[in-house]
Amino acid sequence: MECAFDAQNLISISLRKIQSSRTQRGGIKLHKNLLVTYVLRNARQFYMNKNLSHIQRTQQYEDVAAVRERQEYLEITGSFKELTDDFYCNFTGVESDSWHCGAHQPNDQPAEVAHQDASACAMVSPVSDSDLMVPEACWSCVEKSAWELPVPNTTNQKTVLDLDTHVVTTVTNGYFHSDCCAQPKQPQGAHYYTKKRKMDTNYYIIDPEFYLPDFGPVPFKRMRADEDSNGDSDQLDSSNISNLISVLGSGGLSEFMSWQHTDLEQIFATQTICLKQTLLTGSGWTRAIEAF
Amino acid sequence: NVLVISAEADDENSGMEWCFSQVKGAIDDEVAEADIISTVEFNSTGDLLATGDKGGRIVIFQQEPESKNQPQCRGEYNVYSTFQSHEPEFDYLKSLEIEEKINKIRWLPQKNAAHYLLSTNDKTIKLWKISERDKRPEGYNLKEEDGRYKDFTTIASLQVPVFKPMDLMVEASPRRVFANAHTYHINSISVNSDNETYLSADDLRINLWHQEITDQSFNIVDIKPANMEDLTEVITAAEFHPNQCQTLLYSSSKGIIRLCDLRAAALCDQHVKLFEEPEDPNSRSFFSEIISSIADVKFSHSGRYMMTRDYLSVKIWDVNMETRPIETYQVNEYLRSKLCSLYENDCIFDKFECCWSGDDSVVMTGSYNNFFRMFDRGCRHDVTLEASREHCKPQSVLKPRRVTTGGKRKKDEISVDSLDFNRKILHTAWHPLDNIIAVATTNNLFIFQDKLNQQLTN
Repeated sequence: MECAFDAQNLISISLRKIQSSRTQRGGIKLHKNLLVTYVLRNARQFYMNKNLSHIQRTQQYEDVAAVRERQEYLEITGSFKELTDDFYCNFTGVESDSWHCGAHQPNDQPAEVAHQDASACAMVSPVSDSDLMVPEACWSCVEKSAWELPVPNTTNQKTVLDLDTHVVTTVTNGYFHSDCCAQPKQPQGAHYYTKKRKMDTNYYIIDPEFYLPDFGPVPFKRMRADEDSNGDSDQLDSSNISNLISVLGSGGLSEFMSWQHTDLEQIFATQTICLKQTLLTGSGWTRAIEAF
Repeated sequence: NVLVISAEADDENSGMEWCFSQVKGAIDDEVAEADIISTVEFNSTGDLLATGDKGGRIVIFQQEPESKNQPQCRGEYNVYSTFQSHEPEFDYLKSLEIEEKINKIRWLPQKNAAHYLLSTNDKTIKLWKISERDKRPEGYNLKEEDGRYKDFTTIASLQVPVFKPMDLMVEASPRRVFANAHTYHINSISVNSDNETYLSADDLRINLWHQEITDQSFNIVDIKPANMEDLTEVITAAEFHPNQCQTLLYSSSKGIIRLCDLRAAALCDQHVKLFEEPEDPNSRSFFSEIISSIADVKFSHSGRYMMTRDYLSVKIWDVNMETRPIETYQVNEYLRSKLCSLYENDCIFDKFECCWSGDDSVVMTGSYNNFFRMFDRGCRHDVTLEASREHCKPQSVLKPRRVTTGGKRKKDEISVDSLDFNRKILHTAWHPLDNIIAVATTNNLFIFQDKLNQQLTN
């Protein structure tokens, strides 16, 4: 069927776009990749509906295995399979009510098919399944307890220190129109902010912002220079700071899906593990920005 | 300031007639990537026109004073200053390069002889001061004219250095650098009418800055979900209200515009107004989400209306009505049947900007094949024009173009399949006080002006 072929073609094209976006200059474009995932979702939904309705029309009774076999036949082959694994296991998206590619299609609910391997993963609704988790060598949930970030009570700021330029920038969560320089108070946004800082380690979402925990309450003051901030801080071991880890990188798809099969992920995970050890031991920082 | 807009209807085309004025940029067919224009912006008086490119450079053109001897009453735009605003940077952790491409330029209102503008790439915003120097001190006691120090033993008398005129030199110097406050790619900057603050927006957050303070920023909008897999929407553009310093709006990839009030709360995650047009279920397709994503949003000069540009249309919204736009203009509906191809070649992700005329009566946006479209809101007339070096005789009137989808093609019409999707006009700007427009093709800047205005003054 022409439309079914188009759907499969669209899935291939979309996965190819996601793949190529990883290497493009300037980092991954979050907006573009979000839109690509919508196309993927729509095409997948159409394909599943088409396939299931076809099966239901032709055969009344079918082994689950046979259904899977048919689905596997339709799986994306080659290197896209990896991307499918990456992608669908972490994407929930929003199911649309109806759509068409030229003609109205019935909105069949896709059957939930338990998936044991990545190939079927492309064809079913994404399910959070611990069997599909990234091995511990990457972003590990074993050490989840180490990542229970001490949530600050009074602070709603993030201070960023750039060792290259000695520029310190403070981003305050929320803005009080009348008294922006007043004493620190608990703004409305703080709880929301706090809630967001809890990390969900069921999914391998690598959030570049939260590599480092906050080291407790932060006084509402401006940091002028590297030397001053080091002098003020008891938490930072200034003598061991050779460089700091950047937490303000382009998020893009690295926050959007797990990168378990790429070299970049290996580097990323290795650095993350080093960072965790660093936090615990207070030594061996790489080129970081976020201080406290 | 009075804008003269024609109310007479010509037989062929009612509304304004546009004439070619100037074209800036290389003539070569091969376009260097660094020369691709990425933003165009007039200053508040219109006598300065700034362009930014992918190579991180900014070129500022200045309008020459009107010459009474010339037939045209408006002065030409000539290069005033060129400088490198941003350089490529490197993010060590992610092994990613931060592009130097200038995403946006915004002029600050002029307070003294110097001009100030904000320019931004994906991560860093800079405040630039552009000032003129036409005098230099001469007659130093200790230094020669070339700067070398004199032999002190030869100095027998004392003189007072004096300022002597010199050739005009325009200097651009970075006065502030606003860095390290955005995790995601910055898509917008907007100067507040309070003349003190400005906002910067990336995919998920909007920050508020003071123009003088670089080490502190306030996050006022944050739509990042707790779990990134719940992400369904990103911020695509943001802007302050032209005269209400507490009001800002931002558009999203879901086709939604949110109006926020800074007085309501510290964090403006809760919008004051939400503008969304219900989707037509009959037009649903694989690409519905993409084509409904808003590429640009602009307040009218009056602040009463907003304009949004999605892939196929321009919509005008009344700030007081959230349910639907008051006007919708189809820019290139003929592309609806081509969306699959446009998705494949990435054209569907092109972000076209839109702009208002000075009196908000006409809106303009770009399209493919170096076409740009104007919609006259008053007389409901629209026109398609082309920015091309083939039609660049001075003062030559631009002929309206038409795109046909049918098999029969009239003369001067072009079929959809013949459109060149590599030649696109993403960035346009309209002089705030006059009928002069700047239209950027890939690497050329075209300046057109309204013909009728000239006739009336002659």
